[in-house]
Amino acid sequence: MKRLLLLVALSLFVAAPAAQAQPGQLRSVQADFIQEKHLKILARPIISTGSFTFQAPQSLRWEYRTPIRSILLMHGGKMRKFVERDGGLAEDKGMRLDAMQVVLAEISNWLDGRFTDNAMFTVSFPKKQTVLLTPKEPGLAALISSIELKLGDQAGLLDKVIIFEGPGASTSLTFSNRLLNQEIPAAVFTKQ
Amino acid sequence: MKPPVFFLLILLLSLTGCAAQPPSLPELTHEAGEERGCAAVFPQGRWEFVHTIEFSMADGSGATVLGVTSLGGDEIACALMTVEGFTLFEAVDRGKEGLEVRRAVPPFDKLAFAAGLMEDVRTIFRTPSSATVQYGRAGGTIPICRYIGVEGRITDILPVMDGCWQIRTYGADRALSRSVSGSSCRKEGESLIPEHLELKGFGPTNYTLKMTLIHAENLKGKALP
Repeated sequence: MKRLLLLVALSLFVAAPAAQAQPGQLRSVQADFIQEKHLKILARPIISTGSFTFQAPQSLRWEYRTPIRSILLMHGGKMRKFVERDGGLAEDKGMRLDAMQVVLAEISNWLDGRFTDNAMFTVSFPKKQTVLLTPKEPGLAALISSIELKLGDQAGLLDKVIIFEGPGASTSLTFSNRLLNQEIPAAVFTKQ
Repeated sequence: MKPPVFFLLILLLSLTGCAAQPPSLPELTHEAGEERGCAAVFPQGRWEFVHTIEFSMADGSGATVLGVTSLGGDEIACALMTVEGFTLFEAVDRGKEGLEVRRAVPPFDKLAFAAGLMEDVRTIFRTPSSATVQYGRAGGTIPICRYIGVEGRITDILPVMDGCWQIRTYGADRALSRSVSGSSCRKEGESLIPEHLELKGFGPTNYTLKMTLIHAENLKGKALP
């Protein structure tokens, strides 16, 4: 189940490099996203929408608004997740945090603009504006076959992320309304 | 810390153990007649459903996932995924050809989990296989279609309950094993599709699945992929 968190974390750190064109300059990233889940058994993808806010060094609010509301919060070295339940937001206390700490170390590399091989992923550049991450660890590779990052025309901005799970199964995240280096109130990283 | 979804596995793996006594099979006052709308409980043809699923155990623990169910002919496909879209489980039950598990992330990779999940899905979406069907009323008022299987399992369909329908399954010992309550039903062709479903599993560890419909589509003429 560490992988579940890892997936969320992946979404974070692929969003974060939006500003990697200016290493060391990133203070914050905000964006909306549309997520499409594709499965072989689905006649059409499941569409989810939400937004995220990242503030350096390690604060994150990753929020889904539809079809079900959920909020992942990372702030002050702690991580919490809330999911809509019985009409309200209930904390998911079953999450493992150790995997996230490992991933956060990877995130810092991305924030510094280091698109290079590391312990978790082999990094390649199959096309201009495309970064391909391939898991090194067999356990992870069994769950995620690859991750594709589509960089935008504007320097450093990320347009899209596609997470390939296997044949016919993938999740794509398309970003919009991206804002860099805005002042982020600390309250954003709390349940509200 | 255990991941919340793990509780579902524990729960499904332990369905066959001992437990507090669940309600028993009610006596049926037999009536001659038609099936009185019980067929509308089960969607006919090719359908796709997407639900949010809140599962919880008696101790209050639980989690929320997204569930996909595809029906086509004798085949049922289903998938569970996290809110973030990560696929936890995907399988296709091809009837006599057996169950094909396409993806199962630990701890969902146990056969007992797949079997329990598919049983839940079949209970909700498939007309029970039965040797005989009886029609009547329980308590003198509630119309029931009673499907009696060759293996002793009994399924009661209550086609008119609280504006929607209910399903209750009983084991060979006549103890209640599952109940499904639909609410806020809407008519789609010949089928009654509930906006909300609540499945309760009775056994060693009682569990509840609260399902809210996100999407239902009748995919006429399309084969199950």
